[in-house]
Amino acid sequence: MDLENQKRVKDLSEKYGPENVVVIIGGGEAESSGLAAETVTAGDPTYAGVLAGVELGLKVYHATEPEFKESVDEDVYDDQIGMMEMVLDVDEIAEEVSGIREEFTKY
Amino acid sequence: MVKAIEKQGIPVVHMCTVTPISLTVGANRIIPTIAIPHPLGDPRLGDAEEEKKLRRHLVEKALKALETEVSEQTVFTD
Amino acid sequence: MSKLRVVHYINQFFGGIGGEEMADHKPEVKEEIIGPGLAINAGLKDDGEIVATIICGDSYFGENMDEAKETILEMVKKYEPDLFIAGPAFNAGRYGVACGAITEAVQNELGIPAITAMYEENPGVDMYRKSIYIISTKNSAAGMRDAVKKLVPLALKLAKGEEIGTPNEENYIPKGVRKNYFTDKRGSERAVDMLLKKMKGEAFETEYPMPAFDRVDPMPAIKDMSKATIAIVTSGGTVPKGNPDHVESSSASKFGRYSIEGVDDLTAENSETAHGGYDPVYANEDNDRVIPVDILREMEKEGKIGKLYNYYFSTVGNGTAVANANKFGEEIGKELIENGVDAVILTST
Repeated sequence: MDLENQKRVKDLSEKYGPENVVVIIGGGEAESSGLAAETVTAGDPTYAGVLAGVELGLKVYHATEPEFKESVDEDVYDDQIGMMEMVLDVDEIAEEVSGIREEFTKY
Repeated sequence: MVKAIEKQGIPVVHMCTVTPISLTVGANRIIPTIAIPHPLGDPRLGDAEEEKKLRRHLVEKALKALETEVSEQTVFTD
Repeated sequence: MSKLRVVHYINQFFGGIGGEEMADHKPEVKEEIIGPGLAINAGLKDDGEIVATIICGDSYFGENMDEAKETILEMVKKYEPDLFIAGPAFNAGRYGVACGAITEAVQNELGIPAITAMYEENPGVDMYRKSIYIISTKNSAAGMRDAVKKLVPLALKLAKGEEIGTPNEENYIPKGVRKNYFTDKRGSERAVDMLLKKMKGEAFETEYPMPAFDRVDPMPAIKDMSKATIAIVTSGGTVPKGNPDHVESSSASKFGRYSIEGVDDLTAENSETAHGGYDPVYANEDNDRVIPVDILREMEKEGKIGKLYNYYFSTVGNGTAVANANKFGEEIGKELIENGVDAVILTST
């Protein structure tokens, strides 16, 4: 996750309390999505940004995961995400992100 | 790329800043340049004409290198 | 036993100073554990601790190697460390070269056990593998955990003066050193065993990998420059404004071929750079600073050179795989030969 966004997530987390923050990510494949998810839970795995060594443990979901998909308006989802959903390896992404969540999310 | 092109029979002069890399990789004619973000220019001069003079000097060196027979890797310093 | 004192060297990016725009950051030392140092320190556990971190801009080091080395060696000396660790640099070229250079200097000039880590295609590897231990890492910082896991054990062994095993066992890049040892089978028997395997089409492992001699003989000089056709090739990423072919800013999978017919000067309006590995500001202002189209056009008009080839070839040299660079060079070379180009000026950033 780029350095700017790491800072934003950290600041918001401090401002509103980590238990009140959910991060929705939209990476194009499993590896990058996994890295982003890991960054906001176990800490920046590349040790380049402000979340290096910081275990925020936030709730994190990919936009194509059912938990998110099912809690938003169906038409809006189809409109905005429907097309990408068809070309992404949704299962691989979900497996990667949910795996990280199960291991590192604290809330 | 330098080697792949020269292998086919065309002399190549490599203009680059970190010459140790060029030497290790194997270029035969090497011209050291100004800086990584601006090898053939120098914004610090603050003057377009001065920069052009500098650039011309470097290109002349490069052409000179191409006109020089070499038997081994050569860095052309001033 | 008291904890080993470690000094860690990183670049401006991992040091949290900034990105490419801060690549000219002069060396500074902080008595803190920063960025990847957190992972390394955690790995050292009770055996060691990072007592200071030296941060230096990649471009500053590359452009001022001697002064940078001197300054940093003084900084390291002050802490009297038992161990020096640089990087990991992964595939970042300037960073890898800096890590290699400073690790070698600390080891040879200060006599302090020193180690670094980077991806095998990093230019720093070919330059320094023979003189220092370089842990082999993945090609991006996504491999940080993996890199640290390999780096720490070997670093501790070096610091404690323990015997170092083979590259395979200890995860470092082969140094080209030959060590004699006794084995139970005679050489002739081993050779026959290997030959039988080869003949049967079975897998076998060579005892001595042949080095890849990859030098090219210099081509003859140009006799009459006023009649010569010169072509421009660059790894600096210059492209027409808008990057129409979408040449990637790193790990380029292609090169571009762009017409400069009728173009006497590269400007911020007609050109930009796609390269993501250096601060693009100066190049974007005037790409003649990367490929000297303006000067070569003038020389063409003056008759100093016969002709400037009407196309330039450009790719991005940031983390570009060697195999790809080779391929580009071959294709470009073919076109140049077919079009009677006599010489090439190739610029790199």
